[in-house]
Amino acid sequence: MKLLTHIIPATIVTAAFIFSGCDSKREPGKVYMPDMAYSRAYESYAKRDSVKFTMDMFKKGGDMIFFNNLPPAGTIKRGELFPYTLPNDSNGYKMSSMVKNPYDSIVITKAQMAEAGRLFNVNCAICHGATGVANGPIASGGYVGGVANLTADAYVKMADGTMFHSITYGKGLMGPYSSQVTRAQRWMIVKYIRTLQPNKDSTSSAATKDTTAKKI
Amino acid sequence: MNVDSLSVSCLIFAHGTAIFYKKTRLNCMICYKKFISRFLVCLLLIGFISNNSAFAQGEALFKANCANCHKPNQDYTGPALAGARKREPSPEWVYKWVANPAAMIATDPYAKTLFEKWKPTVMTAFPQLKKADIDAILDYVDNYKEPTAPSGTPAGATSESPDNNSLLFGILTLILAIVAFILLQVNSNLRKLSDDKEGVLRGEPVPFYRNKTYLMAAVLLLFGLGGYTTITAAYGLGRMKNYQPVQPIYYSHKVHAGTNQISCLYCHGGTQDSKSGSIPSVNVCMNCHMAIKEYKGEAITREDGTSVNGTAEIQKLYAYAGWNPEKKEYNPDNNKDGMPDGAHPIEWIKIHNLPDHVYFNHSQHVKVGKQNCQTCHGNIQEMPEVYQFSDLSMGWCINCHRESKVDFYNSADSTGNKFYSIYEKFHEQMKDSIVDKNGRKIPNPHKMDSVTVEKIGGTECQKCHY
Repeated sequence: MKLLTHIIPATIVTAAFIFSGCDSKREPGKVYMPDMAYSRAYESYAKRDSVKFTMDMFKKGGDMIFFNNLPPAGTIKRGELFPYTLPNDSNGYKMSSMVKNPYDSIVITKAQMAEAGRLFNVNCAICHGATGVANGPIASGGYVGGVANLTADAYVKMADGTMFHSITYGKGLMGPYSSQVTRAQRWMIVKYIRTLQPNKDSTSSAATKDTTAKKI
Repeated sequence: MNVDSLSVSCLIFAHGTAIFYKKTRLNCMICYKKFISRFLVCLLLIGFISNNSAFAQGEALFKANCANCHKPNQDYTGPALAGARKREPSPEWVYKWVANPAAMIATDPYAKTLFEKWKPTVMTAFPQLKKADIDAILDYVDNYKEPTAPSGTPAGATSESPDNNSLLFGILTLILAIVAFILLQVNSNLRKLSDDKEGVLRGEPVPFYRNKTYLMAAVLLLFGLGGYTTITAAYGLGRMKNYQPVQPIYYSHKVHAGTNQISCLYCHGGTQDSKSGSIPSVNVCMNCHMAIKEYKGEAITREDGTSVNGTAEIQKLYAYAGWNPEKKEYNPDNNKDGMPDGAHPIEWIKIHNLPDHVYFNHSQHVKVGKQNCQTCHGNIQEMPEVYQFSDLSMGWCINCHRESKVDFYNSADSTGNKFYSIYEKFHEQMKDSIVDKNGRKIPNPHKMDSVTVEKIGGTECQKCHY
């Protein structure tokens, strides 16, 4: 009987210890070999695990994570268009109408236009609507007012460069999209918007549906 | 409705004149008064009708020109328009303002204060609106009444009980085991009794905890259970299925991707181009939240029943972004670190974490393989708080690679992905007919319907481990 009186409490204590260790879904859990699971090398969005990575020893927080590390100013990605140099002010806005769309001189393929349409549907259609008449879910839901109807006369007349300027720096309540779409993609989106507008020959088919959009 | 009220008023008018002629002889003065009063009623009615049509006209004009930025009784992108005539400095002011707001901001002090309050948006000029149109619009908004909202049933949180089948079966097994144990005990006692009665000599029955059969069974059971738990726990070590950390901001994917139908790629756009599924920087949040200051949707409750204050969570975002919601602008960058003062990145907690010895590339799966986000991440658009949906184990990866079909380019309808055109042999095998040695077309004897990822090397070790 002595065996029982010792074994039972010991089992209960062990079981409680084991289960208390693994019940929480708020904890990431354990791994076999942390140095194999967690990268010692630079990894996006990982915390720098050592002070030697921090540029500034006195800076807390922000500099410990790889969020805001922009490449040096003037860096151009391979295959990317040259930087857009007009400043984000009223003069730059006025001058932007003189900037030519680099795709004016290139024959745009059907696939390129479909890709531009896909990008439009991902990034712009939430407010401007898939047809550009300002009926996207955010605009028609009454969350954001003053969404531009891209098929309106003012936008049909607007120069490609001005549209590009507004996408790059934002306009009014619209935020800047330079971090979300590249310069080439922005120019192509402008081309796609032209196909949505009236009085222009629509050469492309409607954009293919975004494949990663949610399934309903 | 207008036609109806018009005919009614005409009837009353006719009635009034009829009475007038009837009673002329009796008492002229009384009849005259009656006639006057009825005539006045008619005038009032006619006035009401014309007023009503002006109201409808104002409504149409308001909806066509103003409703994009203004609401009658609520501040929106622009100020609430009801009572605008009482606020403005002079009755003529509004006509000039609507015709050319930019010029007014430069000269008029009241226009300037308006601009300061509502910037960065500037009122659009409407030179095509006539004075009468503007009056109609202002009449409409002053007399506008909120439509009574249909009393919606509060969205009750339907708490689904998870499938408790395994627990049920466990309890049943336990009960059956106890019943079997009791029956065995009863059986042995009965045998003892019957043996005693018949005079068969037998030793005292061993108590069950010394019975070797029972002890053996118990040891085997414990061994089996212990082994099972140990192995599952060992498998589970390093896997984080259902991991659901508390994030710095209660960001609901259900509200954003589900209710408001924002594409996954709007925020996680880098997923198409890079190895990691990118976490949006704060400026992407601010694209919409510069305008969306408060949460007005369905009430959100956490799993423990506490409610989430959506507006407070948006305020947290403003603190991270260094945005001043009152002034509607970012804080100035006085310390010259390239960010507004007080702005700091949101330290989202990474949920999906593959070990460092596995290479996984998002763009390869999303852009080339055309996989849906939901295949690996589950129905994110229905998750208020994101948890890890898949266990991200190697078996899970391999299983998908064995089942998924490769989207080969189809020249007939130009669908599919040209990336895979290097697999010429498979393209040949997928054709319906082939050309044999003699140049004749024969049906393909090795016809394959589809090619899985495994066939193009998707289960080779060094594809992911190198």
